[in-house]
Amino acid sequence: MMRFVAETYQNEYLAVGASEVNAVVTVTATGDGGGAAVAPDPAGAAEVVIVDTSGSMSMPPGKMNAAKRATRAAVDCIRDGVGFAVISGATNARSIYPAAVPLAVASDETRLAAKHAIDDLWPGDGTAIGRWLTLADELFSTAPGAIHHAILLTDGQNEGETPEQLDAALARCEGHFQCDCRGVGTDWEVGELRRIASTLLGTVDIVPEPEGLTADFTAMIESAMAKRTSDVALRLWTPQGAEVAFVKQVAPTIEDLTGRGTAVDALTSEYPTGAWGAEARDYHLCIRVPPREVGDEMAAGRFSLVVDGAPAGQALIKAIWTDDEQLSTRISREVAHYSGQTELADAIQEGLEARRAGDEATATFKLGRAVKLAADSGNDGTMTLLRAVVEIDDPVTGTVRLKRQVEDADEMALDTRSTKTMRVNLAGP
Amino acid sequence: MDMTHDAALRCEACHAPLMPDDRFCEECGARAGADPEVTEPGEAGCELCGAPASALDADGYCSVCGMRRRQPGSRVEVDLVLAAAVSDQGRVHRRNEDAFHLELVDDAVVAVVCDGISSSTASNAASRAAADVAGGVLAAAVRDGADLADATAAAAEAAHEAVGQVPATSRADLGSPSCTFVCATCAEDRITVGWIGDSRAYWIAGGDARQLTVDHSWASEQVSAGVLSHDEAAREPRAHAITRWVGSDAPSGPPQIVVERPAEPGRLILCSDGLWNYAPSQELMARLLEALPAESSPVAVARALADTALARGGHDNITVAVVDSPPRRRPQA
Repeated sequence: MMRFVAETYQNEYLAVGASEVNAVVTVTATGDGGGAAVAPDPAGAAEVVIVDTSGSMSMPPGKMNAAKRATRAAVDCIRDGVGFAVISGATNARSIYPAAVPLAVASDETRLAAKHAIDDLWPGDGTAIGRWLTLADELFSTAPGAIHHAILLTDGQNEGETPEQLDAALARCEGHFQCDCRGVGTDWEVGELRRIASTLLGTVDIVPEPEGLTADFTAMIESAMAKRTSDVALRLWTPQGAEVAFVKQVAPTIEDLTGRGTAVDALTSEYPTGAWGAEARDYHLCIRVPPREVGDEMAAGRFSLVVDGAPAGQALIKAIWTDDEQLSTRISREVAHYSGQTELADAIQEGLEARRAGDEATATFKLGRAVKLAADSGNDGTMTLLRAVVEIDDPVTGTVRLKRQVEDADEMALDTRSTKTMRVNLAGP
Repeated sequence: MDMTHDAALRCEACHAPLMPDDRFCEECGARAGADPEVTEPGEAGCELCGAPASALDADGYCSVCGMRRRQPGSRVEVDLVLAAAVSDQGRVHRRNEDAFHLELVDDAVVAVVCDGISSSTASNAASRAAADVAGGVLAAAVRDGADLADATAAAAEAAHEAVGQVPATSRADLGSPSCTFVCATCAEDRITVGWIGDSRAYWIAGGDARQLTVDHSWASEQVSAGVLSHDEAAREPRAHAITRWVGSDAPSGPPQIVVERPAEPGRLILCSDGLWNYAPSQELMARLLEALPAESSPVAVARALADTALARGGHDNITVAVVDSPPRRRPQA
């Protein structure tokens, strides 16, 4: 049984005439105890591993073998009874195990058979990720009601089909399964893989050296196996006359959900959040409401998670108008923290884009700003990645110089992981 | 405390002037207008968008427009046994702009009641500052054995200065922070009362209530000058407009002071107009008190009076301080 607890962190006091309400809602999902709302155990899980077998996987030598090792390790982590399949992806997609629908059911016997099939993989041909995803979708459709999770490994850009074909495949798959995406080497495109992962509510990361794949695949499968509820929706009610400026997941990573809402009724929308295990996620919501009179209090938003059609983890976002400026000018520590983390991610992505375009002034300014924000928030992980790209003269002021020689893998790691946030310390003052 | 009235609107029961958004008459508590939408507090739907009561959740938030129903009865009480004070937000106002100070100094009692003027900015901070500062000046004077009439004047002066220091907020349409002021020092055989504005003091003894203060209001001045009768003045739209207050934009001058030397034990009551609007004359105030058991403690009296004002509409913030006089000696430890 899953339990969800949501808490609101905000300064609910607004100045006279102010209309923008900001709040951070933290959601903690636990396996038992504590919470108010409960979700039943899931019907089951289904796992599809998609391995890039395009021709480029043969270079450098050893890459294909590392991918095979990682895929075998992933198959070993699939729990008994879970539906699964392994897809070989090139210009066309092929289910190498099982050979045809439906999904295989994990057991010692089927896992062994799958690993034999993986041994026979051979690189050749191009890359058409949309076709791989479409085949995964067909396989998942044979296990309705299960938590659908896929791993996608690629080493190159999606050159075997048009961007429109990929868009169409993503539109078809959206909401059907979650997909964690990994790029191995440095020939793939961060923006492309991020778009796939975002649409399919998964993570994206770089695995610079093929040797790192096994540990990464194992961790992803274990995380997927720990998911207990599928298709949890974030439901947001806002009052008549209000407007949702944005809805963002801000921890553990930044995902802008604003454009992904579907209307439930005139005042309520739902945003997809995918499957949940025992974990914590934070959301930053910004709602514009019609200004009211001093002393008026209103519900600016009602947040809840919808698990199997039932609301769980509810939180109220308030607005109270005051003429006491000491109250209205205060900024919630949590809102300030995540505004900073969002700005940090934006500064990194804009800085790297400027660097690629040869605009050194903008790149230096943006990456310097990123260094300052990472230092201010104690985001050591991001700071380490920034150090590979800039020389830091003073982290407090964000004074940096661009490095002349930067490894592609370092730049891509910074880009890919820029959305990984430092969680706000809720226990502090 | 409202300083402006719309001449076009009047209570059907007592003809007192009404504010456009009044749901109850400040004078008599009657329901304002024949508007069928106006219902008793508690049954009412959303005040902003008119959604029915069923649209409000348990916390009073409207499920359509989000507005929260104003919460009745946010209340502060102080019970010092031989003196007590109650300040209640009332049913209509969205915050309590009244403030009081109540303190025992040896066998003396210092009481101050201030009513923030709602057409001015930060009026809650103004009344709070005035009550605190004046209370401190009076308590110090009692300890020092100073002249209490002088101390009352000094307390009002200190209140003026304190309110002048209250930062005005950004609302340009409102006046500078301001409030009314009434204080009493009940020491030994005398009660020293000082006031500015229309917060009142009453002396209650032997079933009688005597108003010790004379409102600094337009109506009161017309009656004092013999221009209008009490009833005529009360019917004027500006009857309630006060002519003196505490604040940086106030007409200057010392507080009006009366010293009472009671011949028999009794009770002093200080109150804001949130109470006396429901018992405007001293006879009506006496009738309210007669209804209470004879042995009621000061806190019981203060609560009962505040509850009465709430029951009659609670249109304004309600503050009432009750002091036994001569103060009974505290039990020796």
